[in-house]
Amino acid sequence: MFTRMIRGTLFRQWKKMIMIAFTIALGASLATAMLSVVLDVGDKVNQELKTYGANITVVPKSSSVLNDLYDMEGEGVGAYLREDELGKIKTIFWAFNIVDYAPFINVDASLPDGSPVTITGSWFNHHMELPTGEELDAGMNSLRSWWEIKDGKWIDEQAETDEKVAMIGSELAAREGLKAGDTMHLSGEAGEGDFLIVGVYEAGGEEDEHVYMQLNDAQELAGLDGCINSIEVSALTTPDNELAIKAAKDPGSLTVKQYETWYCTAYVSSICYQIQEVITDSVASPVRQVADSEGAILEKTKLLMVLITILSLIGAALGICNLVTASVMERSSEIGLMKAIGAQNGAVTGLVLTEIMLTAIVGGIFGFLAGIGFSQIIGHTVFNSAITIRPMVIPIVAVLVTIVTLAGSIPAIRMLLRLQPAEVLHGR
Amino acid sequence: MITASLMRRRSRMIVALLAIAIGATILSGLVTIYYDVPRQMGAEFRNYGANMIIAPVEEGFTDKAFEEGIACIADEDLVGATPYRYETVRIHEQPLMAAGTEFESAKKTSPYWLVDGDWPSSGFELMIGNNIAENLQIKPGETVSVRYEKESGDSEEVSNEVDFTVTGILSTGGSEEDYVYMALSDMEELTNEKGTLDLAELSVSGGSEKLNAYADKINSGAYGYDARLVKRVTASETTVLSKLQALVLLVTVIVLALTMICVATTMTAVVTERRREIGLRKAIGASDASIIKEFMGEGMMLGAVGGILGSFVGFLFAQAVSVNVFSSSISFRPLLVPITIIVSIAVTAIACLFPIRSATAVDPALVLKGE
Repeated sequence: MFTRMIRGTLFRQWKKMIMIAFTIALGASLATAMLSVVLDVGDKVNQELKTYGANITVVPKSSSVLNDLYDMEGEGVGAYLREDELGKIKTIFWAFNIVDYAPFINVDASLPDGSPVTITGSWFNHHMELPTGEELDAGMNSLRSWWEIKDGKWIDEQAETDEKVAMIGSELAAREGLKAGDTMHLSGEAGEGDFLIVGVYEAGGEEDEHVYMQLNDAQELAGLDGCINSIEVSALTTPDNELAIKAAKDPGSLTVKQYETWYCTAYVSSICYQIQEVITDSVASPVRQVADSEGAILEKTKLLMVLITILSLIGAALGICNLVTASVMERSSEIGLMKAIGAQNGAVTGLVLTEIMLTAIVGGIFGFLAGIGFSQIIGHTVFNSAITIRPMVIPIVAVLVTIVTLAGSIPAIRMLLRLQPAEVLHGR
Repeated sequence: MITASLMRRRSRMIVALLAIAIGATILSGLVTIYYDVPRQMGAEFRNYGANMIIAPVEEGFTDKAFEEGIACIADEDLVGATPYRYETVRIHEQPLMAAGTEFESAKKTSPYWLVDGDWPSSGFELMIGNNIAENLQIKPGETVSVRYEKESGDSEEVSNEVDFTVTGILSTGGSEEDYVYMALSDMEELTNEKGTLDLAELSVSGGSEKLNAYADKINSGAYGYDARLVKRVTASETTVLSKLQALVLLVTVIVLALTMICVATTMTAVVTERRREIGLRKAIGASDASIIKEFMGEGMMLGAVGGILGSFVGFLFAQAVSVNVFSSSISFRPLLVPITIIVSIAVTAIACLFPIRSATAVDPALVLKGE
């Protein structure tokens, strides 16, 4: 009897039920899309903020105090980091969060006319195959995304060529009358060579006077095989909180539990600490300009999205609730009739609720699928990458739809049950 | 007749009105936020510090020229302008680079500077870079003597020694950690030389076009210096900000589309329910046109009331978001009120039109019978 009545409603009043299911589907898709986006927006924006370049610099321990102050570049052992240790950066606890890094070596050289020029050796699109099986292209191409290539192109490390190549700054190019395709002779302390200029860049700073080339070419010029001056690391980080600030000052001041929390959270300070652990005699410090601002912008964006999500969730909830109430109220004469022929209150409530819930489940499932579609549209249009759907979205949406549907129908049913069947049937 | 109908069917009308008001709230709230996001987020991006540098063409420039150049930038766009003057000084007999600056504006152009201790607030106080502090073992609160020597020309020699109190240690993770910072006025006193500057950092809000326009305007003034944009900050800001704006736009469009459909289905449901009423009216001789006119009038009136309600609540919501997220108030957009109302009316009208037409199209007898 019960199932027959329900089937009856669902089939005979399918138009009305589809309308309700459709509205519930809209609400559920809205909730799914917004929740998926809001849960993933932090990662996505973090990735975008990588255009500001590295947020961690690693320098040799002794140089961090001596070199910069007394201009003692190139003197003394231990003032360099070791090139062969570079791969270790991708082995730290937060290796997955390290999206990019590049070593740098600064070399003084001179042009044929004797004028001095600063040369920097680095990675451009250095291909790495990590022990984990992961592959990564790291280097300046992405770490200096704001450089404007005026002429030619970026150095391509993966190109198979025997020629030594270099990129020069726009101001140097203008002064020396050089352009892409020209050859330039450079002599360093330990070697000299002809370099093919593949690109002229404009960086908007003092780099415009410099020459950039591949790491080993620069090392050869200076006779500093296997040495590097600094490493720039671009890492995805969690905004600092009090614990992170305390730990950054002195990791020793933490309790064991705090230390574990700190070490296992992607704070910029804990990543720095872990880099120091793997690179011999190094000091890794956050570039505050980038690290700090990232945190601020990330928090604001997240908060903004959370509030927009809350608004749309409230909107969706009220919308569904409203419609469900309306559809129950509309059935006052039907309910009155059932009561008049002797139905118990419990039976009536059970019948109406089952019908509504069945509709809600169908609508909710369709809505969830549509919502995933919407979130992918957002992901691909804005960030050019898919939004990860978190499993926790499913229970949240399910609970939300259930609560909203019940909240919409129960008060209406109770109100109708309180009425006298005669009054309802009479049409009052 | 319309008002009478509204009053009679109170509960049903409340349902419809609520639906429209929710739609209108979301419309006006999200659109207000969308328009305000670039401005508010732009202000957040100023956290990255100076995006324009003033560097001398030859050697140094005067503080008067600096002030004249700054005047080219509208007050509301200028977040901060910090002058710098560099001199070599000796502390503990070590040669160090000292920068004379104005700390109040430095806080604005370099908000990311982390100071252990306090920023200097009165005369003869120093802030020293972390590297120097570690090397010279100086802690906040200590007093150090700063000596300045200059042999200008052949005979004239300036040699001054002044005691400074160290108030804070600066860490930035950049080259700033190798400098000693003092107030510009203190440096002028120390060096007996007034009115020259070596560099200035400007933090200006606005997109790269606006910044370029300002830079050109300053450069055309021929003050003896060049204004250059800091590419790293301006280029990246443009990239990231446009993404964020696209995100909010897309979210707004999707949420609005779904909400409007939701409003429409609710309205459709409310009107469909009244098929009997329509059938009855037709049966007692009302013309289709008059029924459509009456029902549509009712729907549009609901749309208007819901729209007014929604644009008001929506603004309150946008205001709450702005205060919570950006700690600043939002500007009221008067144009949005009529737009919200018109959209609400249009959506309700379209939503009512179809069920009314289908109800009037059929034979009243069938409608009354309930088929």
